[in-house]
Amino acid sequence: MTRPDSSSHVGVILALALRNLRRQVRRTALTATAIILGASLLVFANAIGDGTHEQWIDDGVRTGSGHVTIEHPAFRMSRKLEDRLAAEVRAATVAALATADLADRVTGISEQLTISGMASSAAGARPAQILAVNPEAEAAFTTIDEQVIEGRYLESDDRLAAYVGVGLMDQLDLRLGSRLVLTAQDVEQEIAGQLVRVVGVFRNGAPQVDQRVVHIPLGIAAEWLGTGEDVSNIAVVVADSTKVSGLVSRLREALAEPVDAGLATVLGWRDAMPALAALVAVDQYGNYFIFGILFIIIGFGIVNTVLMSVLHRQREFGVLQALGLTPRQTGAVVFVEGLLLTMVSTLVGVGIGTGMTWHFFGDGLDMAALAGDAMSNMDLGGVLMDPIVIPVFSVVRTVQTLGWISLMGVLASVYPAIRAARIDVCESMKFDR
Amino acid sequence: MTPEDTRRAVRTENLSKIYQQEAEEVQAVRDVSLTIQPGEFTALAGPSGSGKTTLLNVIGGLTRPTRGQVWVGDQELSELPNRALARLRLDQVGFVFQAYNLLPVLTARENAEFPMLLQGVSVAERTSRVDALFARTGMTGLEDRRPGKLSGGQQQRVAVVRAVASRPALVLADEPTANLDSASSDALLDLMDDLNRDLGVTFVFATHDARVMNRCRRLVRMVDGAVSSDETR
Repeated sequence: MTRPDSSSHVGVILALALRNLRRQVRRTALTATAIILGASLLVFANAIGDGTHEQWIDDGVRTGSGHVTIEHPAFRMSRKLEDRLAAEVRAATVAALATADLADRVTGISEQLTISGMASSAAGARPAQILAVNPEAEAAFTTIDEQVIEGRYLESDDRLAAYVGVGLMDQLDLRLGSRLVLTAQDVEQEIAGQLVRVVGVFRNGAPQVDQRVVHIPLGIAAEWLGTGEDVSNIAVVVADSTKVSGLVSRLREALAEPVDAGLATVLGWRDAMPALAALVAVDQYGNYFIFGILFIIIGFGIVNTVLMSVLHRQREFGVLQALGLTPRQTGAVVFVEGLLLTMVSTLVGVGIGTGMTWHFFGDGLDMAALAGDAMSNMDLGGVLMDPIVIPVFSVVRTVQTLGWISLMGVLASVYPAIRAARIDVCESMKFDR
Repeated sequence: MTPEDTRRAVRTENLSKIYQQEAEEVQAVRDVSLTIQPGEFTALAGPSGSGKTTLLNVIGGLTRPTRGQVWVGDQELSELPNRALARLRLDQVGFVFQAYNLLPVLTARENAEFPMLLQGVSVAERTSRVDALFARTGMTGLEDRRPGKLSGGQQQRVAVVRAVASRPALVLADEPTANLDSASSDALLDLMDDLNRDLGVTFVFATHDARVMNRCRRLVRMVDGAVSSDETR
């Protein structure tokens, strides 16, 4: 007689588990459906949640100071012209960003001079936030150039040109081509004025942007205020917001000298925009809470199915042990049933969830269509959020979803398996069902 | 243990089994000392509650004795770990139960082959043994039916095939005819008698069925958990 080492009976346990799942088709189908729905929902919620956060971050960093900003350590609090990056630090930063290992990660760089001043016309004067930029680089960095309602955005050969928010235009009674005087303190702390002409008008939607922001070419600002090649900050946008910390570390190494000398600091967007970071974190924890509840519901579904099955099969487990399975192997039959049910259903659920999310929402989910005007004008601290959310599919998230539900399946199958293993064989075979 | 002992199919010595039922102790088996030789066709007879099923369960390693010792072949069971007990049940003991106890998810053939599958017997050998036994028991043609599609008598025949196909030294049958009509009972007893004579398998029955008692060549009567008489015919 052939007698291989059959002491673990893995094949038999697996076959029995599969047969039992097939025997209780309705119960298996109901639980599988619950798990599939749960997994699909998790995939969808994760993709939309991550997409929303990525959208917020992207909108925030493009309006603000990028995923990474290099600036003078005092600039963030003072916003003053004197707290600016020296020309040599600017050059070192640009050189570091041009190195092969960093250039691939970077999708946009904005070198800006941020000036608090006044904008005046014949109709009056208003406080203004003047952003002196390199037009071409800025167009690739920000979305404000796409918000033009009249005229055009700045161009590289512009000199005395200004791109003005629609609110400020109205307040100063300006038209396209109107002249406008910008006044601010120069590097000598003297008040200096600069005449510019309106070449374009934009509507951002956030009142504090539309009523205050003026873009002018960096070159004219340097002449006006005497800043030379200095800038207030260099903002960097990357392709993947989760890779920011690596870029920050790499830039800190590259700029060790000015950073150590207190002439520059390198900040990730979480440090530069703590309110946005907090908003993303709060929303993420809210999502985790919902996911936790979903996991618990799925877990109870699995426990219910597997435990009910165990309670109805006392006699069968007794017979299995009488025929030669150990208590542990009997428990393993139940455990494998739960695990198979969970794993297969989760895989199907993740597949369906990914497919459906991609098919229906791959081009974006319009939150404004779902939630109305409240979403279409969602303004977070001067940053207008795009209501169209593009789902973000992440392998890590998918593996996490599989892992968490599988873990839930494992945990939910342990108790029924222990119950099956601990039966009294003689008593169970008296069990009349 | 002497070489003579190892030739014994079953031996119990001062075997007792006490159950705890809430606050009360129930002595199901009292100081039973019994030896069953290989190839015997023995009935443990007695009224309900006489301890015959409990004694059978202790001999089969399904439950442990409270006191005393029990040997199956040369193995003493009372201190064996669970894994070794399971292996002993698999290799040396076949069970036939009153309620048939076939696995509902398996076909008749798969049920009959199940212990051999656990033993690691090859597919060809399993098929050959089950085919031969099914032919002998009149079950040919019903191999692919699930238990739910078989009559009580047919299910019990599958259970008997399952019990003997793995070639155990000992078959323990607990009220095997209790759920069968007289024709099915007689056919089943004929089958087990034949298997006993042809294969030399030791059969021990727990029964209060007179037909079983009449067919057995040794009758051990039990009352209140103790052996009251032991008669060899």
